[in-house]
Amino acid sequence: MNRIIKVARMQLINKWTFIGIPLLILGGAFIFTMAIFWLVRRAGGDEAVMYSGGAQAPMWYFLALGIQSLTLTFPFSLAMSVSRRTFYLGTVLLFGISALLLSTFYYLMGLVEQATGGWGLGGRFFALEWVADNNGFVQIMFYFVLMLLLFMIGFWIATIYMRWRTSGMLVFFVALAAILLGTVFYLTLGEKWGQFWAWAITWSAGGVVLWGGAVAILMAGASYLTLRKATA
Amino acid sequence: MTNAPAIQATNLSKNYKELTALDQVNLALEPNRIYGLLGRNGAGKTTLMSILTGQGFANQGTVKIFGHNPYEHDATLSRMCFIRESQKYPDDFRANQAFKAAALFYENWDEDLARELIEAFRLPVKRRIKKLSRGQLSAVGVIIGLASRAEITFFDEPYLGLDAVARQIFYDRLVEDFATHPRTIVLSSHLIDEVANLLEHVVVIDAGKIVIDEEAESLRGAAVTVTGNAEKVAEFIGSYPVLHRDALGSLASISIRTRLSQAERARAAELGLELSPVSLQQLVVRSAMGTEDNDTSDVNVEAMK
Repeated sequence: MNRIIKVARMQLINKWTFIGIPLLILGGAFIFTMAIFWLVRRAGGDEAVMYSGGAQAPMWYFLALGIQSLTLTFPFSLAMSVSRRTFYLGTVLLFGISALLLSTFYYLMGLVEQATGGWGLGGRFFALEWVADNNGFVQIMFYFVLMLLLFMIGFWIATIYMRWRTSGMLVFFVALAAILLGTVFYLTLGEKWGQFWAWAITWSAGGVVLWGGAVAILMAGASYLTLRKATA
Repeated sequence: MTNAPAIQATNLSKNYKELTALDQVNLALEPNRIYGLLGRNGAGKTTLMSILTGQGFANQGTVKIFGHNPYEHDATLSRMCFIRESQKYPDDFRANQAFKAAALFYENWDEDLARELIEAFRLPVKRRIKKLSRGQLSAVGVIIGLASRAEITFFDEPYLGLDAVARQIFYDRLVEDFATHPRTIVLSSHLIDEVANLLEHVVVIDAGKIVIDEEAESLRGAAVTVTGNAEKVAEFIGSYPVLHRDALGSLASISIRTRLSQAERARAAELGLELSPVSLQQLVVRSAMGTEDNDTSDVNVEAMK
């Protein structure tokens, strides 16, 4: 257990990676969004509520973080005589905690946003209704699961690279493309796109949490099994 | 537990697509000694060390470190330190951050020693590791290896890019620290003569096979070069195993693998033959090459320098 925490501390030695950069991205996205909201209001566009997808910006960074925390830190952790299991647990634990903190922060900022009438500008940055209409727990879990899912996608792709290098990447992306294309063929030839969209809009934030969480756990397991035989 | 060898490898084999990196390697290294793992580039040194430290995988065979399989076994892994020659560090890590991490994981980490070494190597600890020169990069690995004081420490070509002064500092510090904190050290090198005096035991690997596994002491006097009149040299060496032959006109210089007796030395003097010791490097090279091709073996001596 002790060494698992040490892995988390090692990942935090460079504080920018896990804390500084996500906050910088979020802060940057927020300030830019507010500036744009303000400009729109000034130009007289005051009829409707404005929405921004800027809050998802740091989430995409987690995809990169999943890749980075593996490809760059994994070979070093082997040199630190850390087992793959310990490295995995420490890294995922640290990410889980950071994601939970950030999700809670999103939720709290969403409350502030609603209380201040969209930062006095009638804008929506954190509290998008589809999410914000749920209770606090579902909201936090929604952000958390999305972050975890993105991180795990990056992490798993990176483990595939570490284990099978270029040929692994090739097989993975060709397979992925084949599956996506197969799905498109199925939906198009079967004239099922209408059904698909009808189904897609029935999703609730709670559903995303459940299914997204399940997929994230599946990917976490796949990452671990792949990492067991990965080499520096 | 105390009777178990520090490192025991049994029938280790490792194949890459078309290359046999390790071929039925058997090794048993005792605790608290300094071992030399010698061989040419690509002989399998790094592959062997990776497998011994659970970082790499063998296709066949077993590894026991103090009686345990090190793979995914933190308690065993934490007793070893292996910084590879091409070690990767987290992007944007500075040298002092790498040392901070090492201090976290290595229980016996000696901060004072690390600081002394940083000073001795004049390492710019605040510079990003990816911006360091080859020599400075080697210094980072050497400092982690020495200051971690792990029970088994591997040094993988630790002198690459280091200048002569820095190399001497490394050798001196290694011996000094070993005297006060004995541990098992495996020094992988192709600069054989330079490390020869440090080594207590020599393991030579060539094309994935162990070709020499002997005490350094017994290797030191184990071969001699006889120089003089070709006929007399031939007469003198009789049927001793020949490591290497050189000829220039009627002069011959032949290295043989044997320990000469007092009487034989006297006889060489009578015949007007000159005897000179064969250096560990020469011995290793000649043994690794066999006597099959003397022309190319000279090229290989150069290759190993």
